[in-house]
Amino acid sequence: MTGLVIIGHTEKIWLVLIGLTFAGALLGETGHAGWPLTLTVFFLIAFKGGIVIDYYMEMRSANTRIRNILRMFVALISLLVIVSHGWGEVIRRLTTIN
Amino acid sequence: MGIWVGIFCVLVEFLLLFIVYFIARAHNPEAFLTGPDKLATLAGTVITLFLLTSGYCMVKAVNAIRCDEHKASLRWILGAILLGFGYPIVKYFEIRWNIANGIDGQAGIFYTVYYYLTLNHLVHVSWGLLGLIWIAVRTGLGGYSSQNHSGLEAAALYWHTTDIIWLAIFPFFYILR
Repeated sequence: MTGLVIIGHTEKIWLVLIGLTFAGALLGETGHAGWPLTLTVFFLIAFKGGIVIDYYMEMRSANTRIRNILRMFVALISLLVIVSHGWGEVIRRLTTIN
Repeated sequence: MGIWVGIFCVLVEFLLLFIVYFIARAHNPEAFLTGPDKLATLAGTVITLFLLTSGYCMVKAVNAIRCDEHKASLRWILGAILLGFGYPIVKYFEIRWNIANGIDGQAGIFYTVYYYLTLNHLVHVSWGLLGLIWIAVRTGLGGYSSQNHSGLEAAALYWHTTDIIWLAIFPFFYILR
């Protein structure tokens, strides 16, 4: 059938990433500081990072150790967003040089 | 496997830089609350779109070479390079716009960290682009096949790693308050 556009798995993954990017940009223009914004940013980093690792880098079927290191990196930086918002004062105290 | 050594070094480097970001944030909450307001969200968004679409092209390039479709693979790699070069071009105009609006490296701690992290990422993207140019030449000369394309895969993996790092940088400086 001519003219039929087939959207494959890779295209769907790309569309999800692009959609989440626009959602993030909208949030950047309209969002206010607070837990809802913090949790959304946590989700955006963790989810988009996970998609790139699993589908772009094909880590779902790769060496478990390498996949876990990549996932740990994304998990750590996204968790730091929550820690920084909820416990910023603790971070400040721990990193103050007297 | 050699590329993983390089990739893990890059991840450790950026993990340290992100820790610096969060420490600076904890010590200067006001600067990080208002900082993103003055940056051009559009520039960050366009860079993200370029990188994610360039990454998509590399996924297609790897899939094509696995089927011995050399010309298709080369076209996808060239597409990835073209989109990848969109990043430094947008960055150039973004920095010009920043400076015209008084946002230079001494405009405050938020912008110092912003310039340090984003320009460092740009350097890594530049290495990635050089790698992509190299594999484009190799693919054009028939250097890869369905049986032997580890070099192409290595360049794609490095390129996707720069994606992952940017996916954190973008919200850190343009969204999070």
